[in-house]
This record gives sequence, structure tokens and C-alpha cells, in this order.
Amino acid sequence: MKELLATVKENRQIAEGIWAITLALPEPVGRIRGGQFANLSVGDGSFPLKRPLGVCSVRGDDITLCYQLKGEGTHMIAQAKAGDRLSVLLPLGNGFDLGDAEKVAVIGGGVGIFPLAAVVEEHAGKVQFYSYIGFRGRQYACLTDVFESGGRLTVATDDGSIGFKGNAVQAFLRDGKEIAPDLIISCGPPVMLRALKAALKDNGITTKCLVSLEERMGCGIGACLVCACKKSNGHNARVCKDGPVFDIDEVEL
Amino acid sequence: MKLSVEICGVKFNNPVIAASGTFGFGREYDELYDISAAGGVSTKGLTPERREGNPVPRIAEGKSVILNAVGLQNPGVEEFIKNDLGWLSGKTRVIANVAGRTLEDYEGMCTRLDGLVDMIELNISCPNVRAGGMALGIKPENVEEVTRLCRGALRKTPLIVKLSPNVESIAANAQAAQRGGADCISLINTLTGMVIDIERRRPVLANNTGGVSGAGIMPIALRMVFEAAHAVSIPVIGMGGITCGRDAIAFMMAGARAVQVGTANFTDSYAIPRIVRETEEWLEAHGISDVNEIVDTLQLN
Repeated sequence: MKELLATVKENRQIAEGIWAITLALPEPVGRIRGGQFANLSVGDGSFPLKRPLGVCSVRGDDITLCYQLKGEGTHMIAQAKAGDRLSVLLPLGNGFDLGDAEKVAVIGGGVGIFPLAAVVEEHAGKVQFYSYIGFRGRQYACLTDVFESGGRLTVATDDGSIGFKGNAVQAFLRDGKEIAPDLIISCGPPVMLRALKAALKDNGITTKCLVSLEERMGCGIGACLVCACKKSNGHNARVCKDGPVFDIDEVEL
Repeated sequence: MKLSVEICGVKFNNPVIAASGTFGFGREYDELYDISAAGGVSTKGLTPERREGNPVPRIAEGKSVILNAVGLQNPGVEEFIKNDLGWLSGKTRVIANVAGRTLEDYEGMCTRLDGLVDMIELNISCPNVRAGGMALGIKPENVEEVTRLCRGALRKTPLIVKLSPNVESIAANAQAAQRGGADCISLINTLTGMVIDIERRRPVLANNTGGVSGAGIMPIALRMVFEAAHAVSIPVIGMGGITCGRDAIAFMMAGARAVQVGTANFTDSYAIPRIVRETEEWLEAHGISDVNEIVDTLQLN
């Protein structure tokens, strides 16, 4: 884990309101595992907080982070041009540990697909992925080529404009029993993760399931206790340091 | 170059201390740099029992400021003593920041920590039973009462009272702390504020309001440190929006013997060692060989 001044190589829109920024790191930061994230500076001192963004792709010392234009901070990041330098703290969090799983079901919704894409990229060819990726509609779809390269991909859209009409959890349930994965990994909005947890229970699916959570963060390294989530034992965990990846049974969603 | 400062007989290797609540017990930042680079660490606010804190979101951002409403999540003072104190003491000076819901909580915490830490810092900005749910730090009589009680519980460890800025007169509260027997005061704690998500017509923080900190509050903090420092004879530790060595120098010129750095740690994880270095560079460039020489050297217009 290091904080570095990285150089922007590319920063472009990849779907409606979704951007990908590629940064050249000035020195290696060690292994970056899919599901880990980076805290990226907005590049303007009037924004004291860095933005926690999932690492989407790692190519040597180049990393790509994807983000949705949401508030003033992400709009500022979208202004960054090739050659600009931004401070970045990484790698943060635990990431997905696939263990010795050979067949992995990937269930992602919206901006939750970014860290999952990094997992698929990292393990493609060694692990068979069955991906179920949901978007609100065609114009928001992105990174489908990454998921296709890892195995079988089902795209779901809320409006049915492409692929399965419905959400990623519903798409998974349609053939989840048949593919019998060793592991399920998921990331998406809280409502999707809650639906997934309920669906696994209702359908008697006992496959181990790892989910990545999102929360507003301060330090990003576990010191400030801002990004708390509730564990099933009633105690808090730190999303940034103890997570963002947790066993779905271990956390309240 | 002499960067060390002495406050109430406690020697700090440099005047830049990590502020409570932004730095945990130091372990996480020690993964990024050796935290013995900090003059000291004021711990995450400790309470007698473990606390889980407020619902999320607990943090929001404004222009050049952040707001937090963590709600004193901490493992409890006993876990801190058992798991973290020994390690942290081996790194740097330890200021135990303590909070509570009742006067007895504060007294008990001081009794427990007396002689175990370098200094104790009272966080009297949290809602308190004694003050009818209001913070003890608001009315001078409450500040004096809690300070006197804690002072009476301490035999060895010097007592810092951390003052809230959300008050009628910072000078009056500084004097109240001194009358109660405080060995030192630190200020400012956060200002109370709100950020609204206009699309949802709701405050961003789950707690609705939170404590404002960061670069944007520095002029307010400097004014208050100046006023407090000139109202009491005990030493003052200044804080509020420090992001660089020049900011630290300004607080010391206003009367602070040392400073604390909080929010800047989020913007630059290496803020503390950088601020120490920048302070040293400024002194060197100005031909000053001892940081203590700049304390309280402000000349008013």
C-alpha cells in the first residue's frame, strides 16, 4: 500500500455516465487483487476526500479505475486529461479470494461490475466464469467483452433493451442450479445484494457467496471508522479494511 | 534544528500531533510510514465500554471541509490498554482522548488511564446526560465541573481539555478549564454543520448533522486559538484545518505550543511527516534554530 502521484494515460466515457481512467503508476505497489480498490484524489484542494474507486483492470504498472459521474468530485475527475497527475492510494481492502474454486458465478449490477471485471481479467483461462451482469438499459452497458473472455456471459437489463429482461439476480436464478458453481461473487447496489441473499436462502443454494460492499469513506485504510457495516454478530466491520469483500452470511445488508 | 517541544513536562520530538478520530491508534498509518515521525498521537475517542457508533453515512464533504458523525465508535478503554497502548507507546507520545455519557464515565476513564499514557485529552463535545443531552463543553460551568472532577482523579498524567468552538465565548471556556485545574487546553474541536443532498431533499449524514473540519475552518480556528491562548496561562495545542507547515507555523505564532493534524491525513496519507518537514524548512529558511521561538510571536495590527 502506497500513496503515489500517478500520471493519467487515458480518461474516457465508456457508457452513459460511466468513465474509465487509466493511470500509470510511477513505481510498483505489489500485487493488486480483483475486488481491491484505490483512493483517487479529485486533483483540487477544495475536495479533501479522495474517491474510493474499484480497480477494474491491472496491466503491469497501469491501472484502470471506472467510475460513475455522480457528484462534483467525479465530474472533476472526468476533467483530468492525459498527462495530468493525480494522487492515488492503493491497493486498499481485501479483494476477492477465489480459493480453489473452478466454477465461479459472477453476479454484478450497475457500477458493481467494475471490481468483478478485475477478478475475471485476473483469473480468465484458469477459472470458468458464469457472469450475470445487470444494467438499467442498453446505454449503460459496458465491459461486456471482459466478462465474455472469462466464460459465459448473460447480460440483463431492467428495460429489456438488451439480453435478459430483469435483473442480474433473476438471470442467475434462471440457470444457477444447472451450472452448480463452487463460489458466487457479487457486487452491486444494496437492494441487489439483499435480493441475492434472500434468493440464495429461498432457493436452498448453500454455495459460498462473497459480496463486495460500498460505503462513503474517509481515510480508506481503516483508521477513521467512517465506513462501518454491521456484522451478523452485531459488531461493526470496516468496509475499507476488513472488506470490502465479505461472506454474504457474515454481514447485514 | 530543535523541533522538540515540552508541554506540561512531556517532551514531544516535534510539535505535530495526529488529531483524535482521524488516526485510530496509529496502526493503519504505520503501514504507510513509521508513525514515530509524529510528535504524538491523540487516540480515537475512548469510552468505558465498546461503542458501535452512528448509522452510515458517517462522512460528507463540503468545499474545503468534511463533516463526520462517527458517534465515538471504539473498542472500549480496556481493549485499547490491552491491545494497542503498549505498541503505540513504543512509537510516539500517547494522548488518550476520552469521552463519556456521564461525569462518572470521565472520572473513571481518568482513574483507569492515570500513569499509563503521556497525557489525557477530554473530549467534552459529545452529548452528555449531565448537561441534559447537550455537550458538557458548551457552558463554562459544565467545562469547569468536568475538568475539576477529572483533575481530582489524576495523580500522574497531565490533563488536556479539548474545547468545542460551538460556544458563546471561547475565552470564557478556556478560563473555565483553567479554573477547573486543566494542565493544558486543545482547540478547536469540530464546528457543527450540515450537508444536504438536494435531489433526495435529505441531509447526507445519517445523523443529519456532523462535525465540520478541514482547511476551510482554519481562519476560525486560528482566531479562537489566539483568543484562548491569551485568556489563560496554561499551554495551548492548536488545531483546525492544518494542511501544511505554514499552517502549523501560523497556529504556533497565534500562541499554540504544538498542533494537531486530522482531516489532512485523508487528503494526503503522508501529511504529518510532510508537515514536520515543511515546518523545519520554513524555520531554516528564516534562520530560526528552535521551533519554540515562534510561539506567541504574533504582532497585531
